[in-house]
Amino acid sequence: MKVIVIGGGKVGFYLIKTLKQRKHKVTVIEKDKDLCNTISERLDIDVINGDGTDLDILKDAEVDVADVVAAVTGKDEENLVICQVAKKNFNIQHTIARVNNPKNQEVFKTLGVDNTVCSTQVITNLVDWECESDQIKTIQVFERGEMILVEVQIDKKMSWCNKYVKNLNIPHNCVLVSVYRKDEIIYPKGNTLIQDKDKVVLVTDSSNMISKDKDTYSVLEKAIFN
Amino acid sequence: MYIIIAGCGRVGSTLAKEFLDEGHDVVIIDRNKNRLDKLGSGVNAIRIVGVEYDIDVLKEAGIEQADIFLALTQSDSINIAACQIAKNIFNVEKVIAKVYDLGKEHIYTTLEIEYVNWIRLGIEELKFRI
Repeated sequence: MKVIVIGGGKVGFYLIKTLKQRKHKVTVIEKDKDLCNTISERLDIDVINGDGTDLDILKDAEVDVADVVAAVTGKDEENLVICQVAKKNFNIQHTIARVNNPKNQEVFKTLGVDNTVCSTQVITNLVDWECESDQIKTIQVFERGEMILVEVQIDKKMSWCNKYVKNLNIPHNCVLVSVYRKDEIIYPKGNTLIQDKDKVVLVTDSSNMISKDKDTYSVLEKAIFN
Repeated sequence: MYIIIAGCGRVGSTLAKEFLDEGHDVVIIDRNKNRLDKLGSGVNAIRIVGVEYDIDVLKEAGIEQADIFLALTQSDSINIAACQIAKNIFNVEKVIAKVYDLGKEHIYTTLEIEYVNWIRLGIEELKFRI
């Protein structure tokens, strides 16, 4: 795929390096001349010195044939405007904006940016959920943290142990995906019996995972333990 | 009228004072506290230190009941972001921006943001007189 990356700072540099390794055709646009020189010395890719919202610069980068435009400068507002310019002027279908302030994710989406990436949000989610319990592990986060894939390590103390799936107390907006038992993968149905040492994988709305403090159970924990 | 001004530079601060003298309610936002302090204690505008396009800052400024929103910072990206949020998310009736960099005028046009281009106006006035 042809990818145009705007911003050649730390995030931009490692992004273009990784994309190049994965055989994508990458062009980077960076305002700072020194940074441009550093990048072209270290990586064999097209580097354009200029403003990522300038139509001529974007044309130089052949944005009209690009599949993806990724705006990864350090400024949220710049990334928003870059994505909008790419979208409105060149009809780019996939625009990605790096966001520092998690609040801006929803706003940028409303204003037409296809995707936002917020490392602040990712780390916050990890702190929120990863550390919560030994028995409940976050495997993957979808839709900017709204939906989570979770693995539950079943033990005898849990109310789910030795119950049929159809009789389980499953919270609202939560679906069982699979059960790992030894080396076997089971796709659970109503008549699947949950056993000790099973690993149950489920998809849940993130609100089911949030507890007020360490001593309070989240909705999911309540359902599993009580 | 209830007017919010983003950016307390020369234009923003002068405009704020004039609007106040005319009896309007004025809130002025700037990320730099020093610029707000320069308004002086005699100016009766509500001052908010914060990112000019931050949703919560704008809410604190009362954007939900604002009649007019003016984006007059020295960053086109901030002006563009702030205006779109004021217009498309909070439905402020009158939203106008200042173009800072001539080369970015096209973005305001494309995104249908009403703007004033000082430099262009100045150049035309100068040419007219010569």
